[in-house]
Amino acid sequence: MPAEKNYYTIDPEGKLTCLKCKVPLVKGKAKFMYLDNGFPVELPVCPVCGFIYVPEELALGKVASVERALEDK
Amino acid sequence: MIFSETTSVCPVCLKTLPAILRTAPDGVYMDKTCPEHGDFSALLWEGDFESYLAWPSGNESREVPINGRQTDLGCPYDCGLCNDHQSKGCCVLLELTHRCNLRCPVCFASAGDSTHTDVPLEEIRQQYAYLMAHGGPFNIQLSGGEPTMRDDLPDIIRLGRDMGFSFFQLNTNGLRLAHEEGYAARLKQAGLNTVFLQFDGVSDDVYEILRGRKLLAEKEKAIANCAAAGLGIVLVPVIAAGVNEHQVGDILRYALSHMPAVRGVHFQPLSYFGRCALPRPEKPITIPKMLRLMEEQTEGTFKTAHFTGGGAENPYCSFHATYRLLKDGSLKALSRHIPGNSGCCCHSSDESRLSVAEQWSGGEFNNNQESCCCGDPGLPAKESCCDGGSGISEDNSLFDTSSLDAFLEEARKTTFAVSGMVFMDAYNLDLARLRRCYICEVDSRFGMVPFCAYNLTGVDGRALYRSKV
Repeated sequence: MPAEKNYYTIDPEGKLTCLKCKVPLVKGKAKFMYLDNGFPVELPVCPVCGFIYVPEELALGKVASVERALEDK
Repeated sequence: MIFSETTSVCPVCLKTLPAILRTAPDGVYMDKTCPEHGDFSALLWEGDFESYLAWPSGNESREVPINGRQTDLGCPYDCGLCNDHQSKGCCVLLELTHRCNLRCPVCFASAGDSTHTDVPLEEIRQQYAYLMAHGGPFNIQLSGGEPTMRDDLPDIIRLGRDMGFSFFQLNTNGLRLAHEEGYAARLKQAGLNTVFLQFDGVSDDVYEILRGRKLLAEKEKAIANCAAAGLGIVLVPVIAAGVNEHQVGDILRYALSHMPAVRGVHFQPLSYFGRCALPRPEKPITIPKMLRLMEEQTEGTFKTAHFTGGGAENPYCSFHATYRLLKDGSLKALSRHIPGNSGCCCHSSDESRLSVAEQWSGGEFNNNQESCCCGDPGLPAKESCCDGGSGISEDNSLFDTSSLDAFLEEARKTTFAVSGMVFMDAYNLDLARLRRCYICEVDSRFGMVPFCAYNLTGVDGRALYRSKV
């Protein structure tokens, strides 16, 4: 997956770093909200600026599937 | 009123003939005249013309077969697929054997009639390779004869998975699944996704007519064994006028009571080709009749208005609807299939292939060829049973998306599909429909042959493809 250079970097071991703050992303709480439904998740976040990393695979995979199910499509 | 022209065949000599489609007070008919064998008329649609026109016309786009072949004789005589075909294919049947442990009075494959031996494993390997070179991967239907007659069935599934196919469906009468302890689990472990279980009714008199003996107890045992093994099950009733059309509602209720292992019901109105001991009635079961039977026998739970035709194939070949089972036990029709709403979700063979695989699989369908680290090919590599289900390729320790997983699993378990396909015989064959067929039989002599061409037989039983040696 290509890195979005504006926000973060991924080292060869897959470790994520906030490009702006130069600190490693850490596990943090987030919530996807859609059509009055909330899904608490834990995702990599920047402990300094709060940037939340949502990988493309997740957005186009499970999240999109949940959206379709909620829309009854 | 004549409203369309097409091409069909003479049911006697199987020569192509011009045909017209006309309306009548009780439905839509196909008429044709063979100079040698006379006039033929076949009911296509039992309902008024408005309902025929209102049936969703689906997607008009055309696909091109991958590496299609040149045609010499023209449709339907040298399919393969040829370059005139308008679909690249979705589901492909591999007829692994002609042997069967039943002797059904009705059998489109005429199983047991032939002296052919089983298809050798090396030839199956070549067929898989042919399919991959001609638009694969496709959804693989392991068929026959009765495919469980072969002891190397798990090897055939593993071979297909190794060669890049990700969805395997077993078309079976269920006898071996019922009788042999651990057999369902062995097939699951090999990579089988779904059991397409012949299930014609909820009483033994139906099986005695269509299958030659009582079978209900064995069907129920097969379902229990498949459920325990985590295999998805689709009940497949052949519906014959005057035999079991009164059990349509009972079959649906039976299926609902066995969710989530039973993923849906796929009706097949009886086709009058191959070995068929029942005479072709003046009014065979058409799509609107099938939908009316469902609505009438379920007090409107399954309504005609919920159903639409296929989007990838010709819409007059199939019908389907999808439902969600709510907590109060009621069913809600999902909007993706309600005509006039968003229409059918599938507009290409590839979309249809994945949609079928996702709905009919036992457990989550994995289109990824990699298997889970535990070795279960039914589990995805990244969303496995072994890594907490993060599904993310970067540092897994930072992710927990289990709330999404739980929601999706619940949605999958509560989704129920009802579908059906109306195959064409020599009386109602419409080459315009045939050219959009996406269900093919693989035959090493011809390639990929559309199902209704491969199984076409004349009134004397002569076939275009199946009988050729």
